[in-house]
Amino acid sequence: MKESQDIESATVQLSPVLETTGLPGLPDSKERRYDRQLRLWAASGQSALESAHILVLGASPTSTSILKNLVLPGIGAFTILDDGVVEGKDLGANFFLETDSLGKNKAEEAIKHLGELNDSVAAHAETRALESILDDDPTYLHKFSLIIAENIPQRILERVTALLWDSSTGAGDGDADADASQTVAPPLIVVRTSGFLADFGIQLKEHSIITTHSDSAASLRIDKPFPSLLAHAFSLNFDKMDVTDHGHIPFVVILVRVLQEWKNDHAGKAPSTYAEKQEFKQRIVKMKKKDDEENFDEAVAQAYKAWTNTIVPSEIEALFNDPSTKNLTANSDPFYHLVHALQIYTSQPPHTLPLSATLPDMKSDTKSYIHLQRLYKEQAAEDKARFTDILRGIEAGAAGAGGGGSVALGMVDDFVKNAHALRLIRGKKWTGLTDDVEALTLAREMAPAAVATHLSLSALYAFEGKNGRLPKPGDGADREEMTAWVKARLTATGWAPEPEPEDSAMTGADEEEEEPMPKEITLWEHVTNAVGEVSRAPAAELPTTAALMGGMVAQEVIKVITKQYIPIDGVCAVDLASSTTGTVKV
Amino acid sequence: MSVAVEAPPAANGASSSSPQYPDQYYYVDQILDRPGPRTDEAFSAGDPVKSFLREQCKILVIGAGGLGCEILANLALMGFKDIHVIDMDTIDISNLNRQFLFRPKDVGQPKATVAAEFIMKRVPGVKVTPYYGKIQDKDDDYYMQFNIVICGLDSVEARRWINATLVNLVDPENPESLKPLIDGGTEGFKGQSRVIFPTISSCYECSLDMLNKPTAFPICTIANTPRLPEHCIEWASVLEWPKVHADKKMDTDDPEHISWLYKVASKRAKEFKIEGVTWQLTQGVVKNIIPAIASTNAIIAASCCNEAFKIATTAAPFLNNYWMLIGTDGVYSYTFEHEKKSDCPVCGGETMDVEVGKGWTIERLIEWLTENQKIQIKKPSLSLGTKPIYFQAPPQLEESTRPNLEKKVHELIPEGGEVTVTASTLPFTLTLRLAFV
Ligand SMILES: [Zn+2]
Repeated sequence: MKESQDIESATVQLSPVLETTGLPGLPDSKERRYDRQLRLWAASGQSALESAHILVLGASPTSTSILKNLVLPGIGAFTILDDGVVEGKDLGANFFLETDSLGKNKAEEAIKHLGELNDSVAAHAETRALESILDDDPTYLHKFSLIIAENIPQRILERVTALLWDSSTGAGDGDADADASQTVAPPLIVVRTSGFLADFGIQLKEHSIITTHSDSAASLRIDKPFPSLLAHAFSLNFDKMDVTDHGHIPFVVILVRVLQEWKNDHAGKAPSTYAEKQEFKQRIVKMKKKDDEENFDEAVAQAYKAWTNTIVPSEIEALFNDPSTKNLTANSDPFYHLVHALQIYTSQPPHTLPLSATLPDMKSDTKSYIHLQRLYKEQAAEDKARFTDILRGIEAGAAGAGGGGSVALGMVDDFVKNAHALRLIRGKKWTGLTDDVEALTLAREMAPAAVATHLSLSALYAFEGKNGRLPKPGDGADREEMTAWVKARLTATGWAPEPEPEDSAMTGADEEEEEPMPKEITLWEHVTNAVGEVSRAPAAELPTTAALMGGMVAQEVIKVITKQYIPIDGVCAVDLASSTTGTVKV
Repeated sequence: MSVAVEAPPAANGASSSSPQYPDQYYYVDQILDRPGPRTDEAFSAGDPVKSFLREQCKILVIGAGGLGCEILANLALMGFKDIHVIDMDTIDISNLNRQFLFRPKDVGQPKATVAAEFIMKRVPGVKVTPYYGKIQDKDDDYYMQFNIVICGLDSVEARRWINATLVNLVDPENPESLKPLIDGGTEGFKGQSRVIFPTISSCYECSLDMLNKPTAFPICTIANTPRLPEHCIEWASVLEWPKVHADKKMDTDDPEHISWLYKVASKRAKEFKIEGVTWQLTQGVVKNIIPAIASTNAIIAASCCNEAFKIATTAAPFLNNYWMLIGTDGVYSYTFEHEKKSDCPVCGGETMDVEVGKGWTIERLIEWLTENQKIQIKKPSLSLGTKPIYFQAPPQLEESTRPNLEKKVHELIPEGGEVTVTASTLPFTLTLRLAFV
């Protein structure tokens, strides 16, 4: 079958096979085009992307690489701001400029070639200078969903970061009086590149994530079985079952039963010592009717779930005490209303999160599994109903106080389903110059290579800010100035250069040939390497570095916009000479 | 380990290394004009290295899909000018969310050809030679002409083939025969890139056990105790399709075939009260679809090309030898050296020691081989010296060796005996030394 040439006009295709089945038809052209990504962020993530409008400051190779990775998955709209004209050097490193573009406005040329990647994306060029917008039309920036600044001079960058940070009153400020005038400025991603080195960070006040796609599974509540599960586990007569049925009892049922029996023998306590845990597992093994009953093997392998306490995870508990939850107002973000409802919910017995309806696959026959699955679904529905009642109560109270609105049902569903893996990120104002001594002290110990990369890029910006020009490639004096700047930053954190290790190789008397221990690279060596690399090609937009940053930053944009998966919390530093990356919270 | 592709001095002037327009290589030249702090001494800054990169270096890109499109664009901008690309696929609508050299009008056209034309149009001075076909169509002489090979493939089998081919190509007498292989792969927000110096560093086969095992459902679950929608879909495709359609081969690219499976799987799911069978899930299960996005492909392709550039120019040390990235929770990446395995069937040279149960039949041994993560072989044939133990083909030989399947291993093979294992899909043989326990 040949695909339609014009995918926009193609609609739902008819399927003769499905015609009389009452089943939905084939996916439409949009679903087919986006199939590989819908499997990651579903229709909800896609519609968030399609409602977003991204502003990119500067039509650099990195900027167009980022945009390419957002236009392809179908971002709603994007604007490139650039008042410069295309020169040969731009053309050579930027895949989205053509020879014809020479001498023309960079933003207008770049949007032509980016726009053609996806007809459903709106592409705009802004040819005013950024500084004149900051002077005359600062609210211009507020109409975008997210802003990306790549290699913007420090002086201008500081105006942008301040404008977006200071005008944004996040709910975290806890200032109830500010509610009326509350504005949330778009998140800003600051990207810096220099030859093989690059870094980026996200400036956002707060970012709550419900659909984290966490790998950690919700509790099956084996240690705190809900009534229908407990009743079911004891309704089965294991001994009288025939061999086939016995070999198909789901491990969850086995564990609930054995644990309860164990507790009956042990004053209500679950196994806690190593010996007790071994004994518990032996009990399960002894229940086998045949040696090859895999469901009992599974129960042994999963036995730790019997002594894993189902409690409210400390990360979730922390959300209850977050200032935004504590100072809840009618206008607070729905996330905090949901968290507050969860806090009340968990304060009531059995003091757990609402049950998740998802049951993993396990050795079982169809009937037993589907029955167990139904018990989980029914209890999950009951838990959700109790949660929703609490939430609606809070909302009614808020409505009485002049607030309003109720959290959409779909969001409640997602929240309850992911209650064990919620995440809240509180960002900081972007300061490439890292004046936070405490944070820098910690970071230089945790991730010296990443700190070195980050500081040398900051040194480059500082150099440009001070001298009004970039360092000359390979120039010794300019390199020394950047090195001194980095050293001053590190010294402020109490750091002193490590003493040169003594050359012990010659003094070693023993004749045996020893493997030389790989030498740990010191922070100072990292700094020398990183500043040296920056000095080699201070302003080089290396196409591979641009492409790699284009991918990484686009991933972050997608995560922030869809509110799915978890964006970075801090600064990510990339060193493509050593093929490493690191994230530091500075 | 220090292996560098020698950059010979410029031949006669800098004809094709000169840019097509002023400043074409303005940024790349900043890197090539002087060494950095970690640059190897072999680096010949300036014209020599530029002339090698732009006049002599010949690079092969395998795959013109999600990674391939990105790789081709990066290489062209970095200054590689003689690029070859192989891909056997044509363009599908579901490629357009990430394969950015293709447009809706190109659907149905060969990927390699369309990609090559696009690159040559966008980056003047670059020659891209496409081949629309299989990597297996090409012989050793073909692969011998390249300095570096980059793989952006989604097929494990094709990777194993090119890996084994490049390992076999190495002639210790001829340094030119060592072709660095750079391999990239992605899945959703995750990916990895690696550099392989065949016979010197860990090869693709050495790390086979790092792959996620493809989810295979036991046939008895599918037939008797389905619990998940996937089980119903497998039932439709594995058991019902051959029963109903006899000789007609299932084409997972044909939407009507997927619709049929969807219909049959839905009916079974309803019967067993299993929820969740959808058209998309059906397609995903039978085609083993891996989620793919442009941004992850961009990261991995950039990493691969950055390594290719460093190998070709020695401008900075290249990756030794594995980089993995996880972008689901922040940005986490890990750079490490994957160890070469001395008993790797491709590059190890040593025989693999295998402990065989006393009661094992030849059939059990074959089953063990096909299930082993380190080996991952389909339909293996076994022989002891020149004596066939069991052959999958040709039919006469299969028939004459079939009775051996039932026999105990130790009846046919002595303790310490060396068994040769071959499979038609793989260009290498594996030698096992058996010990009975
Ligand atoms: Zn190997």
